[in-house]
Amino acid sequence: MLDLNGITKTFGGIHAVEDVTMSVASGEVRGLIGPNGAGKTTLVNLISGLLAHSAGNLSLDGEPLDRLRAHQRAALGVARTFQNLRVFPSLSVAQNIDVARYSGRGSAMVDAAIAEFGLSDKLNQSAGSLAYGQLRRLEIVRALALNPRVLMLDEPAAGMNEQETDALGRSLSWVRSHSDCAILVIDHDLKFIMSLCDRITVLNMGTVIAEGAPKDITKNQEVIDAYLGEADERAA
Amino acid sequence: MILNPSQKRGLVGAAILAAVLIAIGLIVTYFGSRYQLRLVYSAFVNLLVVLAMQVFMGNARLTNLSHSAFMGIGAYVAAICVTPVTVKAISLPDAPWGLNTFSLDPVSSAVLAIVITAVLALIIGLFVVRLTGSGVTIFSLAVLVIVHSVFLYRTDIFKGNQAFFGIPQVFSLTSIVVLSVIVVFLVRLFRESRWGIQLRACADDEVGAAAMGVNIRRLRLIAWVLSAVLLAVAGIAYAFFLGTISARPFYFNHVFLTLAMLILGGMRTVTGAVLGTLLISFGLECVRWLETGPVLLGVDLPEVLGLSGIALGVVIVLTMALRPGGIMGDYEIEDFLLKGQE
Repeated sequence: MLDLNGITKTFGGIHAVEDVTMSVASGEVRGLIGPNGAGKTTLVNLISGLLAHSAGNLSLDGEPLDRLRAHQRAALGVARTFQNLRVFPSLSVAQNIDVARYSGRGSAMVDAAIAEFGLSDKLNQSAGSLAYGQLRRLEIVRALALNPRVLMLDEPAAGMNEQETDALGRSLSWVRSHSDCAILVIDHDLKFIMSLCDRITVLNMGTVIAEGAPKDITKNQEVIDAYLGEADERAA
Repeated sequence: MILNPSQKRGLVGAAILAAVLIAIGLIVTYFGSRYQLRLVYSAFVNLLVVLAMQVFMGNARLTNLSHSAFMGIGAYVAAICVTPVTVKAISLPDAPWGLNTFSLDPVSSAVLAIVITAVLALIIGLFVVRLTGSGVTIFSLAVLVIVHSVFLYRTDIFKGNQAFFGIPQVFSLTSIVVLSVIVVFLVRLFRESRWGIQLRACADDEVGAAAMGVNIRRLRLIAWVLSAVLLAVAGIAYAFFLGTISARPFYFNHVFLTLAMLILGGMRTVTGAVLGTLLISFGLECVRWLETGPVLLGVDLPEVLGLSGIALGVVIVLTMALRPGGIMGDYEIEDFLLKGQE
């Protein structure tokens, strides 16, 4: 169980994230949506420890994370992927996964995950030579190698076509059935999010404006005004 | 210990490099003149230095310019310990802390030199790992200057630019070839170890590495200290063969020479470190011969003093401009031989 209590982050007077309180249970898949600049990635950075929060507290299964640095949190099982890919291009695919495996809690599912995400025949290739979709999948497998208790995916479907997104959705369902980690997914592809997530949290201007089951979220007027409506306009 | 595929490949690569080094050693031992033997010995000392530099610079990809200082510390500590009391009574009459009243066997002297260098490197390293990029370069340059100044001005201990003489000559070409082979394997296995891989991950992407649980500062400190230990070994090998040392060989000219070797070959790989050292060692001998104004193909060439300095500078300039990764780039020697096995 990941618990956020009153998490706030200010950058020189600007509240990027303000008083966010939420819990994600083990085995739950939580969607995190909102317009650009809503603070979604900032929130992931705060949970993973790449940024320090200005106020509030964070805990994982009751264990406080606030004073731990990013690498310590990762070793405890706080894993993530990045919106702008951060694989290690000079290392092989296998070594990319090893970097996480060496510091994590040990995971029996990594080898199966490598096969599930279609990387079995790429292991000895340089990660710098992979295609975009493969890089996205490598980031997820690498995060799984930490044997996560919390897995945060920052726009995993970005730049993917519909078939790739469907395949990703199936792979993530596979992850769900093989790990009881809490999963937090950020994405702008609402169809993808709605089909994948148990619950959805909507952020706008750094604050939580709604939280609930996918079908309730789509009917929430505040969400429509802040985000969904905007998406419709963009589509039009 | 179970080796993963890249570690097995590393052993193959190190074995090939070791074979080349042993071949050079054998050829010089049986066919070389005394002068050539000394030249090759000093090339092997520089090889140890460049391999030591590769550990930190190649894996963490941060520039360290203080390496010759750590080599000097190792050389001086070993020299002070191993030199007989009778010699020290003449060479270091005013030495403090009873430094001229004892003398140790070569092995104990070497061990003590390595330990003292490691402790100093650990203390300095605690500051180094808090810095990034050009901060490390500037900091390490300052360390070089400080250490050199201490060597120069504490003449009662180090004799400054005068020769520190009377060091027993306990090393031969065979000893340094054996040492180089061991260090080649060590450095290559470090590169492919958990630490080496995580360090290279940090060099690729610090944020990504931290998010994958890598303690960047701790790893850089490990590489920094290991590098310093190997530099001390190089310094000891230098002192134990020549029998005489002074402050000058551990200063800027040597920093620049070894840097050119590492950059030309390619700092990211162990093969690059070895190749660069061999090429520059050999090339520099040719340049030194040209410097004296020899008669070449019937043409009487003029004497050009300082040509070797120009040559080294040109090597660095051209490598950085045309092939910033050095000759080898990201390739190790076995990559050419085992290509089909991927």
